[in-house]
Amino acid sequence: MSVIFPSLNWFEELRNRFNSNQRDNQVGVGTCDALVGVACGEKLFTVQFEAFECTNVMELEDESALENTDFYLELHPNDWKDMIINIKENNGAGLSFTLNTLDLELSDGLAKSWTEDQYRQDLFFRFNQTFQYFFDASADVETVFEEMDIA
Amino acid sequence: MTNKDNEPQDSARVRSRRRVNQRLRDAVSKETSGDLKDVEIPPKKLDWMKRTYQWGVKADVTDSGLTIGALNVGIYGEIPDRWDDQSRMPRGAYPMPGVPPIGYSISEKRDLWADNAADLYEEAIQRRWTPATDIPWEAIGPLPDDVEAAVCQLCTMLCQHANTEIETLGTWLHQMSYGYHEVKLFLATEMFDAARHFEVFRKRALSNGGGLGLELKGDVKRMIIESRGGWSETALLLYLLRGLFTFTIYRYGSILANNDAEKAIFEKSVQDKARHLSYGLEHLRYAITRQDDKDLVFNNLLGIGERLVARECKEPIVLEPLAVIFGGGVEGAQSGMRTAQRLMSDYVNLYLSSLRSIGIDRSDSLSNDLKSYLL
Repeated sequence: MSVIFPSLNWFEELRNRFNSNQRDNQVGVGTCDALVGVACGEKLFTVQFEAFECTNVMELEDESALENTDFYLELHPNDWKDMIINIKENNGAGLSFTLNTLDLELSDGLAKSWTEDQYRQDLFFRFNQTFQYFFDASADVETVFEEMDIA
Repeated sequence: MTNKDNEPQDSARVRSRRRVNQRLRDAVSKETSGDLKDVEIPPKKLDWMKRTYQWGVKADVTDSGLTIGALNVGIYGEIPDRWDDQSRMPRGAYPMPGVPPIGYSISEKRDLWADNAADLYEEAIQRRWTPATDIPWEAIGPLPDDVEAAVCQLCTMLCQHANTEIETLGTWLHQMSYGYHEVKLFLATEMFDAARHFEVFRKRALSNGGGLGLELKGDVKRMIIESRGGWSETALLLYLLRGLFTFTIYRYGSILANNDAEKAIFEKSVQDKARHLSYGLEHLRYAITRQDDKDLVFNNLLGIGERLVARECKEPIVLEPLAVIFGGGVEGAQSGMRTAQRLMSDYVNLYLSSLRSIGIDRSDSLSNDLKSYLL
């Protein structure tokens, strides 16, 4: 079944895949506690990681709610689409589309702090592989973008 | 299907284990029967049973397990601003009179503390990795000679960054008193992380037909290792001047890796280094907010340190190998140097923003040499 990106359903699906044993995501990676925001155009979400799981995903009504996140990931919708397609094609992000690469290559970075709290923003690096595995799990999701292209 | 090659070996191993166990049982049996009447057993005193400051403690198990931080309950969670005990007594234990002093020189909380140390310790333990088996070494394939030489030279330098860290932490760890075990435990993991980084970069250099390169002369290394003013001052140099540089190289390494093995090496190392920096920044912020002139001391030290770092970065073996790697060979090194310059610019910007996060603004006083890297 295909799921539209960006949508709460898509993140729910991603959460289920990430938490399942089907992908060998958490082995050797360890616990992760972080509240991560995702900004894609006007659409905003939060993804909650607790211990070994992604415990919750939510859609936000108001961008000021990003204040509660440790950091948020912001990309242009086309860049999100390119990243998800690349993950699908490679069964995981290729070198040009890892979160780390995108953060380095964008002039204002990918991971941002609403409160300019560098300590909380550093969680992006400390748990980077966990977040990468989370998005890499989208390789198993049949994604339809808002223009109805299928990745 | 039976594995005929392994079968005799397995049987021999089982027989050998049986023989050892039998000998052990025989020894215990002899000890408890024949000789027992000759053994003098002292009368039980059990007065140690009452020597505790707080009994009945049941720390909560969290979703992440029973963490070091979760043990900080009751008196065990009281972390004093000064810890005068000079023994290895764990915080909260009942002291034994007459224990000769060890001579810990760091007994003020402000000189080593970071609120995140306990969590970072757990994180380090949870997220550990093993270079021997967690890196897909089989993914490394032949590279052009000049690129291999550059990768090996970079690995040589990164080994030196790591052994500087090991030696520096070793110099200070035994001077930190046990009132602040969270920090001691975390720094022990950081030493282990640094050992792992030394290991993994040495393995990379020696696994693909290359070898180790030229030693970096190492003025910055000596500045860090020989810093004796205090742990906070050493931490300033270790984390902000050197650590952020290493971190930036790791980040670039992970996006410009030649294969999945190098990608994994750098990605895993980035996480470790980010953890080290989190402790460093949190401690330096703690130290600054609790001592009036600490920011002035730090500013003076950074003025000296920046010049040494800039001088070291002018050594050909620092940026040239990066330029060759980024450019895909000597021919592309000119364009690769632009990426190396961007790396340096990112490093200096990160250095300035990290300083701001601990309350130091050096945007006007940054050394000219480092300033010249800003794009």
